[in-house]
Amino acid sequence: MNINKHDAQVEMEMNMTPMIDVVFLLIIFFMIITDLTQQDLEELQLPMATAAVEDKPDPKVIRPIINIPQSGRMIVKRDEYYDPEKDGDDMVRLERFLVDQANRMPKKMDAELGVRLPDNPLMIRADKNTEFKYIQRIMEICGKQGIQIWKLELGAAETEENRKKREAAQE
Amino acid sequence: MSVLSDIATEEIEMEMTPMIDVTFLLLIFFLLTIKFKVLEGKLMAYLPKDIGVNATPAVPVEKVEITIHIPPNKAGRKVYAAGEDKGQPWVDATRRFEFVGREPLYQIGPHKTTKLDEVEKRLLDLNRKDPTAPMTIDCRQGTVYGDMVPVLDAAVAAHFSRITFVGEPKKAKK
Repeated sequence: MNINKHDAQVEMEMNMTPMIDVVFLLIIFFMIITDLTQQDLEELQLPMATAAVEDKPDPKVIRPIINIPQSGRMIVKRDEYYDPEKDGDDMVRLERFLVDQANRMPKKMDAELGVRLPDNPLMIRADKNTEFKYIQRIMEICGKQGIQIWKLELGAAETEENRKKREAAQE
Repeated sequence: MSVLSDIATEEIEMEMTPMIDVTFLLLIFFLLTIKFKVLEGKLMAYLPKDIGVNATPAVPVEKVEITIHIPPNKAGRKVYAAGEDKGQPWVDATRRFEFVGREPLYQIGPHKTTKLDEVEKRLLDLNRKDPTAPMTIDCRQGTVYGDMVPVLDAAVAAHFSRITFVGEPKKAKK
């Protein structure tokens, strides 16, 4: 009958090692995720669009994302490729970047023009109050020989109504 | 010697409590500060395939062209987060501004309007008449991204699939 009784003298010790392991793994996970998710996307106020479709990025697909805040600076993965205050009309760095990206993209033969054109899009995420002339400049560069990126994706915020509809459809 | 042998056999235990405290604090900090940024929505558009946006030769194709004008008296007043623009660096959030009283003017063919729902209706009508017609958006001087997106949104909602942009022609250098 003494089996069920605790021996008050015996010190009970919990094995903390697995818990510490898990907690450390969680910390490392959150640290990496925080960095990765914010690398491509700058903090911007995007304009609302009801017809915007959900963006499901495929990490294997080369799709450069250019962020343009109100100042007109052009930022790709935290790197600044153009600053209107410093660079003025000189957009060489952005042009070089786009040439490099266009070269890496898979090409598809265009029947009308008879030339091979990059088949991947370029995403532009601009703040709602960013002057459109900056976006036009990117468009001009995209049309240049050696780049010829013609597919565009323009970032927009989903309306609350749309988000709810999409989530309901997914359920 | 007996003292030394006693020490060797004694079990040394590390005090884990402070480490666990700190670890949990770190975990809570990361959980609270992390923002899972869902990639927002996107709108598809295309650029002229041949050459730059400004140099597209005129082709005899019936297309819908919508022009966004910002009349000087309707450009709106910039209201800065800091109350006024003091030439702060752009990285400073106080340099952020919003437009108050902005009223873009949309022109589809000869028809001009300042109302977006009218633009939507008109685009729907035009697409019903010719569902294959391409569409171009012409953003004139002073337009901001937020003026263009509702128009593109209306065009996508009206089922236009070939949407391209027209650039503001550069002024010739003197």
